[in-house]
Amino acid sequence: MKNKNPKPQHTKSNESTIHFKGTFIAVMLLGVIMVASWFGVYALFLSR
Amino acid sequence: MAFMYVTFTSLLVGGLMGLLQTFVRSGKYTLPFGIDYYTILTVHGVILGLVMTTFFIIGFQFSLMGKTVGLTDKQRKAAWWSFWIMLAGTIMASVMVLTGQASVLYTFYAPLRAHPVFYFGLALVIIGSWIAVFINFRQLYLWRKANKGQKSPLLAYMVTINMIMWVIASLGVAVSVLVLFIPWSLGYTATINVLLSRTLFWYFGHPLVYFWLLPAYMAWYAIIPKIIGGKILSDSLARLAFILLLLFSIPVGFHHQLTEPGIDATWKFIQVVLTFMVVIPTLMTAFSIFATFEATGRKKGYTTLFGWFRKLPWKDVRFLAPFIGMVAFIPGGAGGIINASHQMNALIHNTIWVTGHFHLTAAMTSVLTFFGITYWLVPHLTGRRLTPRLNKLGIIQSLTWTVGMLIMSTAMHIQGLLGGPRRSNFSEYAGGAQVDTWISYQMAQESADRFSSLPSS
Repeated sequence: MKNKNPKPQHTKSNESTIHFKGTFIAVMLLGVIMVASWFGVYALFLSR
Repeated sequence: MAFMYVTFTSLLVGGLMGLLQTFVRSGKYTLPFGIDYYTILTVHGVILGLVMTTFFIIGFQFSLMGKTVGLTDKQRKAAWWSFWIMLAGTIMASVMVLTGQASVLYTFYAPLRAHPVFYFGLALVIIGSWIAVFINFRQLYLWRKANKGQKSPLLAYMVTINMIMWVIASLGVAVSVLVLFIPWSLGYTATINVLLSRTLFWYFGHPLVYFWLLPAYMAWYAIIPKIIGGKILSDSLARLAFILLLLFSIPVGFHHQLTEPGIDATWKFIQVVLTFMVVIPTLMTAFSIFATFEATGRKKGYTTLFGWFRKLPWKDVRFLAPFIGMVAFIPGGAGGIINASHQMNALIHNTIWVTGHFHLTAAMTSVLTFFGITYWLVPHLTGRRLTPRLNKLGIIQSLTWTVGMLIMSTAMHIQGLLGGPRRSNFSEYAGGAQVDTWISYQMAQESADRFSSLPSS
């Protein structure tokens, strides 16, 4: 039967079946870079 | 296209000035005809930081709005008014700067005083940009009226957020120019409130850098997925990131004034927190971009952890230039967190580290993305084609720009940590021992600028 509901149905997106392991690691790496550079300059601040 | 012509003429002039500055600062060259170092420094800052970016962004946003929600003939006419008023203001301010009557740098800090025409010119640029703002708002309003109950197109939504931010921010510079600088430069007032003028400048100046960044985000969120043959991870996430950036930008300028006496520490703290909050929409953006890349690559059959990375269209300048911009934003953003941390700000304040940070974020992240945008926008506007040869030339241009900027900004960061000052002409500082540690980095900046600015212009 034809769907009479005018509202668009939310279909499960393809993304949900994709693994985002690479994305997770990449974003975590960004966090590490931010923290490491902050502490690097902080160490310089303390040493002066 | 008119906005683009102004943009790239500015790039040529501004790039040349940058090159001259590095010559002078390396101590090997003296400017001819008595031209002052601070005049060319002002030209560089004003024309690249204020003119090139604003013209590019407003032109780009008009084309996005025209494509997504439409542009009526009446709006097009008004848009031309916006262009001509901005151009008139730019010419007025530029003539004053070029004739050495407004060597006040792009921050125009009091008590440095420029010719009144410089300030009138700035006011006209702001007024012209406000016309563009109201046209963009009207475009979206008419679209929403005609498409009741529908979600506004993502790019139109993003442009509107950016323009709301611009209006709120530019109120600061409008007030400071109209109420403080113009009466003072005309001699109607004998003194000027330096602290207030600087505060109003940074009330404008920091959201200004978000105003440069958001068009880059527009390209990263909505245009890059199309270029790589994928689709945006989440429309709602993109909208939320834009809303957050708007909220965290009002007001946020005090982290430029952490060493300023006369501002209450509590307010400095609050605005530093707001600065740090920007990490959230920034990491949301990074997550979204990586996820779009990964999803696109995996759909094309790459199963290893980072195999999808190889599948990206590295030979397409419309992708490569913005991608390098994204990468530059990693150290750029990390440096920003350092700058905004009160104690560490003491380490780098007024050093050329800040200039290095600025060249990573503005000249690489935003401008390389703008180059990438230009490579598809100009063919689109003119009905021409980006031929494989031009694409190759574009890649060479993007890479030379990248190599030059990398050497320059790295040298600036290191020299800044060694105490090298910004905003200053060549000096041996009475032969101080510390100064000897700077010169090699200064030389590196000179050769890097020679390498990158001119081919790109």
